Amino acid sequence: MSYERDIMNKGQNSENLTDRLDVPLLKYLWEASPLYFGKKDNYHEFFKKISVLSSFSDNEIRLFTKFLHRREFIADEVIFRQGDSGYGFYFIFEGAVDIYANHLNSNPDDRGDFVIRLDRRQYFGEMGLLEDFNRRSATVVASEHTVLLGIFKPDLEKMLEHYPVLGAKFLRETALIMANRMGQLTREIMSLKRKLKEVEQRI
Amino acid sequence: MQRNLKIKLFLFFFQLLTAIVFAFLFPRLTLPFGFAYIIYLMTKPLTVLLTTGSKKQRFLFFLLLFAGVIFSLLPIFAAFYNLDTDFSKFTDQLPEIEKQLQDKYFVFKVYVFEKFGYRLNADPVSFVVKKLESSGILLLAKIPNYLSTFFEWILLVPMFLYFFFFQSQNFGSRFLRSIPNSIFEKTYVLFSQFNTKFGEYIIAKFIEATILGTLVTLGLLIIGFPYAFVLGFIAGVTNILPYIGPIIGFVPALLVGLMSNDPNVSMFAMGLIYLISNLIDMVLVFPLLVSKVVNLNPIIVVVSVIVGGQLGGVVGMIVIIPFIAFFKLLFQEIYKDLSVQL
Repeated sequence: MSYERDIMNKGQNSENLTDRLDVPLLKYLWEASPLYFGKKDNYHEFFKKISVLSSFSDNEIRLFTKFLHRREFIADEVIFRQGDSGYGFYFIFEGAVDIYANHLNSNPDDRGDFVIRLDRRQYFGEMGLLEDFNRRSATVVASEHTVLLGIFKPDLEKMLEHYPVLGAKFLRETALIMANRMGQLTREIMSLKRKLKEVEQRI
Repeated sequence: MQRNLKIKLFLFFFQLLTAIVFAFLFPRLTLPFGFAYIIYLMTKPLTVLLTTGSKKQRFLFFLLLFAGVIFSLLPIFAAFYNLDTDFSKFTDQLPEIEKQLQDKYFVFKVYVFEKFGYRLNADPVSFVVKKLESSGILLLAKIPNYLSTFFEWILLVPMFLYFFFFQSQNFGSRFLRSIPNSIFEKTYVLFSQFNTKFGEYIIAKFIEATILGTLVTLGLLIIGFPYAFVLGFIAGVTNILPYIGPIIGFVPALLVGLMSNDPNVSMFAMGLIYLISNLIDMVLVFPLLVSKVVNLNPIIVVVSVIVGGQLGGVVGMIVIIPFIAFFKLLFQEIYKDLSVQL
């Protein structure tokens, strides 16, 4: 049950809302409110604007951020390489990253072909969180000073153990991201097959 | 840029190495720290239940837990009371046991002389008794040391427990932040896996030892074997050591049986009880509880226990298994990485 619903139910049943002052919660709610003009760059603001997590309530975002790891990368620093074991899913909190694929194993300096640049509020590496023996399918490099918020397999397990509803919700969102990517991939394959057929017919 | 990353990596490993060296140099701190960590890992699953769920659920769980602790402590106190009486009975009977052994050895000496014409001059019984006496004196001399260690532990273990329950998250996140980016994912996942494996192993071994100890005690009580509580306790404690433990645990019962003159004491029934208890452990308890946690080859387990004993005594014998399981995981990861690169 969400925090908000819990409060609502307690109110309807004329129960006492709280028996102690939860200072971190009050601080969080104050920072999350539209009246707060301080540092707008907090995690709440950040995740509220990420479409895949839009179904999360304020309290769920607060709990979710407890499981995240803040990692800072300098410009040109490799975040992970294609073929590395993958265990985590990253959100770009600050900066941007470049994605490269098809690199040569024999040359460690080779990053492969540039695929795409991801900016603030975009995410990558979700397969690493779900697959058992995941190998990174691309190399990711910080294109400038970048701050990432990462969640890893042990965190997901901990989340499912401590907050099963939140864990299940996050898993559903991650599955949705993967389903979207799969759909995109299928459309690309279809388009490539069509083009291949056209080329074959011309020949 | 690469140079800075390399310096960061070097500093991290230097920090890690310093911590390991510190741990080896100050065992008086490391041992209570490790003990507190084991208690923390054992009680960790309970903290999940105590911190999640509605207020009513948490209160109900707390009440059940409290009742459970009280009810489980009562037989333990009773067992310890019996343990104490058993031990004092054993010490009181020691001179008598020595006399019996001397008599039995004399009969054996006469038998050897009559049969083979060879006179046995050695006096192993006196040798063993003298050894026992001297080690008893040594033990007495060491009592002040043991007492000071005990009081040190009384002070340190709760302090470390407080640290693990209330400060470890903070400390853990600081430690995680110090891990260089290039090795972060792997280190974090391996560290978490080790923590989980270690905790699960300790809990599993504790439950296994309790089950075996209870089975042996009950069995010995049923057949009326002397020192049932002490022997059951020893069987449970020694069972923590894989493979070698059950044999070590059986030796005291064998000695008690050999020294006893009571016609009601049946060595066969006693042996059968140890055999059945260990079979239940091997066939039911171990596969259900422990083997899922540490999936290791039996030969590796035996060799590891011997190496652990050489390195860190009894504690080394116990903790070596989860460490080996962790190293297995680590090598599997390295091997996987190498196979991808090749």
